Amino acid sequence: MILKLSGLRAAGLGAAMLFAVPAMAAECIAPADPGGGWDFTCREVGRLLSAEGLVEGNVQVTNMPGGVGAVAFANVAGKRADDGDLLVATSTVGITQIAQGKYPGGVDQMRWLAMLGADVGVIAVAKDSDIQTLDDLLGRLKADPTSVVTSGSSGAGGWDHIRLLLLAEAGGVEALEQIRWVQFDGGSPAVTQMMGGQVGLVSTDLGEIKGFVESGDIRVLAVLSDEPISAFPDLPTAKSQGYEVTGYNWRGFYTGGGVSDDDYNAWVEKLKTLYDSAAWQETARASGLEPIWRGGDEFNDYVAEQNEQMANISREIGVIQ
Amino acid sequence: MDILSLLWDGFAVAALPINLVLIVAGCFAGTLIGALPGLGPVNGVAILIPLTFAFGLDATSSMILLSAVYYGCMYGGRISAILLNIPGDEPAIMTTLDGYPMARKGQAADALAISGVASFIGATLATIGLTLFAPMLAKAAIYFGPADYFALYVMAFATIGGISGSDPRKTLLAALLGLMLGTVGLDPSTGVARYTFGSFNLYDGFDPIVALVGLFALSEILFFLEEKAHGGGLVPPGRVFPRLTRVKEGIGASLRGSVIGFIAGILPGAGASLGAVMSYSFEKRLSDKGTFGDGDPRGVAAPEAGNNAASGGALIPMLTLGVPGSGTTAVMLAMLISLNIQPGPLLFERSPDLVWGLVAALYLANFVLLILNLPLIGLFTRVLGLPAWGLMPLVVAISYLGVYAITHAAFDLLVMVGFGILGFVLRKLDFSLVPVVLGLLLGMDMENNLRRALSISGGDFTILLQSPIANVIYLLTAGFLVLSLWLSRRGSAIPSRLETPGD
Amino acid sequence: MSDRLSGLFFFLLAAGYVWLSAGYTAGFGDPLGPAIFPRVIGIPAVILGLSLLIWPRHDAVWAGRAGLLRQAAAITILLGYALLLEPFGFVPATFSAILGLGLLMGAPPLRGLLMAALAAPGLYLLFDRLMGLPLPLIGSWFG
Repeated sequence: MILKLSGLRAAGLGAAMLFAVPAMAAECIAPADPGGGWDFTCREVGRLLSAEGLVEGNVQVTNMPGGVGAVAFANVAGKRADDGDLLVATSTVGITQIAQGKYPGGVDQMRWLAMLGADVGVIAVAKDSDIQTLDDLLGRLKADPTSVVTSGSSGAGGWDHIRLLLLAEAGGVEALEQIRWVQFDGGSPAVTQMMGGQVGLVSTDLGEIKGFVESGDIRVLAVLSDEPISAFPDLPTAKSQGYEVTGYNWRGFYTGGGVSDDDYNAWVEKLKTLYDSAAWQETARASGLEPIWRGGDEFNDYVAEQNEQMANISREIGVIQ
Repeated sequence: MDILSLLWDGFAVAALPINLVLIVAGCFAGTLIGALPGLGPVNGVAILIPLTFAFGLDATSSMILLSAVYYGCMYGGRISAILLNIPGDEPAIMTTLDGYPMARKGQAADALAISGVASFIGATLATIGLTLFAPMLAKAAIYFGPADYFALYVMAFATIGGISGSDPRKTLLAALLGLMLGTVGLDPSTGVARYTFGSFNLYDGFDPIVALVGLFALSEILFFLEEKAHGGGLVPPGRVFPRLTRVKEGIGASLRGSVIGFIAGILPGAGASLGAVMSYSFEKRLSDKGTFGDGDPRGVAAPEAGNNAASGGALIPMLTLGVPGSGTTAVMLAMLISLNIQPGPLLFERSPDLVWGLVAALYLANFVLLILNLPLIGLFTRVLGLPAWGLMPLVVAISYLGVYAITHAAFDLLVMVGFGILGFVLRKLDFSLVPVVLGLLLGMDMENNLRRALSISGGDFTILLQSPIANVIYLLTAGFLVLSLWLSRRGSAIPSRLETPGD
Repeated sequence: MSDRLSGLFFFLLAAGYVWLSAGYTAGFGDPLGPAIFPRVIGIPAVILGLSLLIWPRHDAVWAGRAGLLRQAAAITILLGYALLLEPFGFVPATFSAILGLGLLMGAPPLRGLLMAALAAPGLYLLFDRLMGLPLPLIGSWFG
């Protein structure tokens, strides 16, 4: 800042007065347009970081949409690799993209800070659907993979689709590529199209369609978590029905690969403090996230491992060659 | 009646002093943001979210503020469309077709008044529709499947054929160019990168706002520079006060445009731009005696009523189902969630204060916008008196800022200059720009819905004709085309003038 | 003549567009695939471009030498503004662009200068401060 102010001085003292800037604020890049999950992550965490006094001033949220996060990734790798004030929101969806080679680089190019919570995958049908249980669904798909039209908010090969295919695979469906998949621009449009009878099933994040679960417009066949989730303890997990499949969509942050250990550790610590706060626990639950913490090196390893897994799955079911 | 008493409670919420202040401030800010090229309602709403947090507003007040901004933007987008031939946001492109020719004839004040009243009619009718029928309409809208949306887009493109231009081949080519530009980027169904030439910056395709500002605003500068600078304004300011008789000419068109726009708004896959397009082309077929494209008041009223009614309509799926009908409502939904309000089918039951307070606030916002906009007409027309050397560079700087401040990509600015050159050349060659933008705006949704329909059927094309809704739309389209053929045979076949000043 | 040229341009553009679509394949989970829609819109564009090339109807009149020079200068300023916004920072780049375009459009020099000097910081205040949209104040070259 001092350097910048001296640059200003050349432009005239009057201007310097006009533009006297407060202390450099932290910045969070949401690699998407306003309104989506990553934008939400940045805005919520940013708001709480400043409300809890963990950063000075406000956290500036910058939307940098493009290529499901690829544009922001390229920008950080190229221009801001050592910017210690920077957070970038990401999630399992981002790792899926990286694993499928759709980003300009791999997970080792960034330093992964922490995950603060996870949304849980759900498989749901309309309340008046003939399909009553997960067994029922998988039985039908096994007999005829085209018998149920499936849908979700990712394209073919995206995380919503992969989660469903993993479940189908566990249920013994062989012709995975024959299952019909329809992409919609979000979980709630997919659900309304299902309610209108256009598609037979929705696979997406629980948080996106919570309102429909509460209103009883849809029947949840399975949630893809290890344990029943706290907000809806009655929803059956896939595991409890004998299918060893989980599908979380965690929400977290990375920062540039050249960020110093000090800055990196400071961020991890701040995020941990935030995670432990009552405010975050409440916000997370309200938005359908299960608060789950992984931070620092542990998170870095976790991301590397998930990247590996995701690449294997994608290869196995034929999304990438 | 039940609804009336709920609405009455809503007015009690909306009339709280804090909410009244927010309505007025939101309307004002929205008009400003809408009028600035490069900043549209999505950005306007996104900009204000941190502000609502900073003031610690509750969910109802925040929604009231954002909705006032949203409505305000729809009013504001028309101002620069009429005065400068630069649509302030996407839905305002249709307003350039007759609004700018009116301004060139010295009738800027009339055009602003007509469009202001049309906006009021459209938005108010939509709000009434929202009050009375929201849950019912939302139930009907969910039966609109991908094949039906595809039919809707076919209808839109079939009817824009006659919008403008002397050579129909060129109108069609312009639309196809827009559609081609619209396919650039990651294919949403499969994630395949198309026509990106390895550039990550192109992965999300061309932002319509960037294209819009380039095509309209930057090409305008190149046009201006053809002639030796004369130090004057772009168009004559003309009279400062609008004439009531002209305003009356637009009433019928406003009512018709409102209905069409409202229907487009309720459908989550359609939206304000489609509403404005349909309203305009319908009105043109119905009323054109060779005056459309040359400054016909009805050509200003119809699309403005259409896009404002569509924004009101878009609140229906948002409030009743939690489905965003547009980018702006998506942002508003995200904010609701962060304020611990779960959008979805239960919102009306669980948060009646919020829903009805918001609806009441919309009525108030409409009046505020009308009252705010009419006296400002004199001020706005004075903008036209400014010399071009002052106005146009300022418009460029604002456009650059608007685009850069949202995407933070200098690349987008270069794309914008590219669109500026393209727009200039196309206009010189007698191509209309409006179909290009429409192709870009609507093409992707058209393709997505086609792909979705075929994904459902497993590649069987007959699904496109199996839905009764789609068949009705195709029949309407055919009827529309036959009607317009018949009308033009009847003797009003005067070729409409081009909307560009360059010819 | 200009119609023939634009016809040729559209013909080549659309032909290239259709040709490139052949490379877009996804064997996975999508019956239509990413290549069909581009062909559906590309092929009519090829035909219409060809028709314009063969049966032109309109001839554009381009600006004289001086006009073309002014237009070229304006494009240079617009490109320069886009490229230099980040390295120069917002205020200096905007100042230069407004001044350059203003003079090109016939501003009296002193008033053009005044306008640019007021508008650049004014817009910065409006966007960065009032609306909270972050802009680079002073670019990386000065920072």
